Amino acid sequence: MYRLRFHGRGGQGARVASKVLGTAAFLDGYYAQDFPLYGAERRGAPVAASTRISEEPIMERGVIPEPDIVIVMDETLLQDPLTMPVSGLKQGGIVLINTAHSPAEAKAEYKITAQVLTLDITKIGLDMLGMPILSTLAGGVAARIVGLSEESLKDAVKKVLSEIITDRKLLDKNVAAALYCFNAITPAKIEIKLKTIGTTKKKSTVISLPFEHAAVSSPAINATGNTPLRMTGNWRVFRPVWNYDSCTRCMICVARCPDGCILVNEDDYPYTDYDNCKGCLICIEECPTNSLGKVREVHA
Amino acid sequence: MRKEMLTGNASAAWGVRLAEVDYIPVYPITPQTEIIETLARWISDGVMDSRFVTMDSEHSMLTAAGSASATGARAFTATSSQGLLYGFEMLYAVAGWRVPLVMVNVSRGLSSPITLEPDHNDVLAARDTGFLQIHCETCQEVLDSILMAYRLAEDKRVLLPIIVNLDGFYLSFTREPVEVPDVERVRNFLPLYQPKHAFFKASQPMAQSAAVLGGSSYSYFKYQMHMASQNALAVYKEVCEEFETRFGRNYDTFEGYMLEDADYVLVMTNSFSTLGKAAVNNARERGINAGLLRLRLVRPFPVADLKAAITGKRAVAVIDQNISIGKGGILHSEIASCLYNEKHRPLLLSFIAGLGGKNISPDEFEFIFNKMIVGVDTGEVETTQLLYTEKEWQEMGRLKGMAGKG
Ligand code: SF4
Ligand code: SF4
Repeated sequence: MYRLRFHGRGGQGARVASKVLGTAAFLDGYYAQDFPLYGAERRGAPVAASTRISEEPIMERGVIPEPDIVIVMDETLLQDPLTMPVSGLKQGGIVLINTAHSPAEAKAEYKITAQVLTLDITKIGLDMLGMPILSTLAGGVAARIVGLSEESLKDAVKKVLSEIITDRKLLDKNVAAALYCFNAITPAKIEIKLKTIGTTKKKSTVISLPFEHAAVSSPAINATGNTPLRMTGNWRVFRPVWNYDSCTRCMICVARCPDGCILVNEDDYPYTDYDNCKGCLICIEECPTNSLGKVREVHA
Repeated sequence: MRKEMLTGNASAAWGVRLAEVDYIPVYPITPQTEIIETLARWISDGVMDSRFVTMDSEHSMLTAAGSASATGARAFTATSSQGLLYGFEMLYAVAGWRVPLVMVNVSRGLSSPITLEPDHNDVLAARDTGFLQIHCETCQEVLDSILMAYRLAEDKRVLLPIIVNLDGFYLSFTREPVEVPDVERVRNFLPLYQPKHAFFKASQPMAQSAAVLGGSSYSYFKYQMHMASQNALAVYKEVCEEFETRFGRNYDTFEGYMLEDADYVLVMTNSFSTLGKAAVNNARERGINAGLLRLRLVRPFPVADLKAAITGKRAVAVIDQNISIGKGGILHSEIASCLYNEKHRPLLLSFIAGLGGKNISPDEFEFIFNKMIVGVDTGEVETTQLLYTEKEWQEMGRLKGMAGKG
């Protein structure tokens, strides 16, 4: 069995990527199962999705704790201590990272020991779809890694997308982008065999839960909020930049930023707090003098 | 007939579509909402001909669904967790009306603390309401059970509403291959609903559910419901038999997995049973004569079937994915009560697992089998035990630290 885990952020399409892969595997005649796990449904929140592909009926459910292959759709997640996308990856497993960096650079940067493949999926998405939605593209990459057929991938993209979008042109662009990604990577040598059953054994011991008094064991949080410690700025695909030559200091951008991250400097010009700006680019839309532009973020 | 990848929620929606339901009052809640979204899309696309109404709460939703059912319309609704609790008053009311409503519950743990992931305290809270309950392990079973549920509910020997249960996330959002039967074949199995017992008709004023005082008439009505529910056991078998003849899939009141020759038996329900089956395979490889009984029909409780299946076994471990605070596992109590008078009753162990969707690892299953074997050797059985691993305890410590409880 192949066990794949996709990691992305809400809005990027990890869930749909796992569906594209699951459907392609199903069309290729395998048993398949896909499953997303997310908490609060909002853009930017970490999302994981699992796909299992097998020649035999699948006797597992839920999140894959020990994947053979991990697809990291948002490389900033590699530094998120709560997500830890590569955790549990099996010996001989593969990590594909959506990044502009080379595999060697990514390996060094994120201290990954497993086999790493890289592809700038975001760039392909922007070039071919005009937006940073990566679902079908990541599905295409994964389909290649596990050795599914191009034909099934194509049909899977059509099938899955026709359930969510009606725009025929966008659907065709997605098919093209998925196939582009499918062919953009050299199929890596995979050491895990489709037939392999079971997972590597890590013993877990059952304990009997000790009693703790309600001051500890009620679900109340005594600590003061730690939201300011969580930098949401690394969700950005594009960063807004200001051109003060034409800015009239009308303060519209300041008022419109949904995250309230735009501040005003001593000279009354607006600037944003890049630690928290999520890159929604509403400020650019709203500026009446076109004094804002966007620059693609390249992380790490 | 065709096979495709469907989520549990989409399978539920297909069941409703194929049952050609007339009236669908809805209210959204995670992880159920995909069911009503799918139905809404089909209705607006014109591929499904039903009346879809958004309500202001689960309480009104259940009232509307039950009332529609009382006019002779085939009605459907769906909810989960807090939503089920919000509509709780109407569960008893609607069941007392004796109407064949079918409702899907997508299991999700109850507040507090709030969660999204599944356990069965929501659906089992409804076990005394009069609704029959069918619990599903696979997406295919969700679709099939909805069709079977209408047949069963609409049978004049039964006429009680039914809950079809599936686990949130682990089934509701999990896609796996599902066979979608053709509507003509479904029509042969589940003909158009022709209510001979529908109560409300235009221009015929009447009252639904009279007020009774003095207890004897109240007792009469309640016990009639109980007998109707008991009747459902036999009717269920007929429905299953016909379903199997027509569609080739067999569903009994329970599913036995390597059960017949097993000495050590796990009892489970719903989607985590898949994990239990894998654990049975593992145990067999280690030379343990393991088996699994997955309870499907939870109401009416199939006492005779369970007795026949597990008397004579050495040990049975009931894995309850629920907790009756102050007592323990709900199904453990129910199974214990039906075995009490049996001479060759097995040793009965009780475990709580999978609360709020907590995983049950292979090691935890191994722990259960060991407990069963030791229990048989020593004749001693411990009280209910929560399956919880050392690693989870450490992680809990970390979270408590973050919450300022260090
Ligand atoms: S991009 Fe969005 S979040 Fe960032 S400054 Fe502009 S409006 Fe605010
Ligand atoms: S909206 Fe444009 S012109 Fe107005 S303050 Fe912002 S950047 Fe300057």
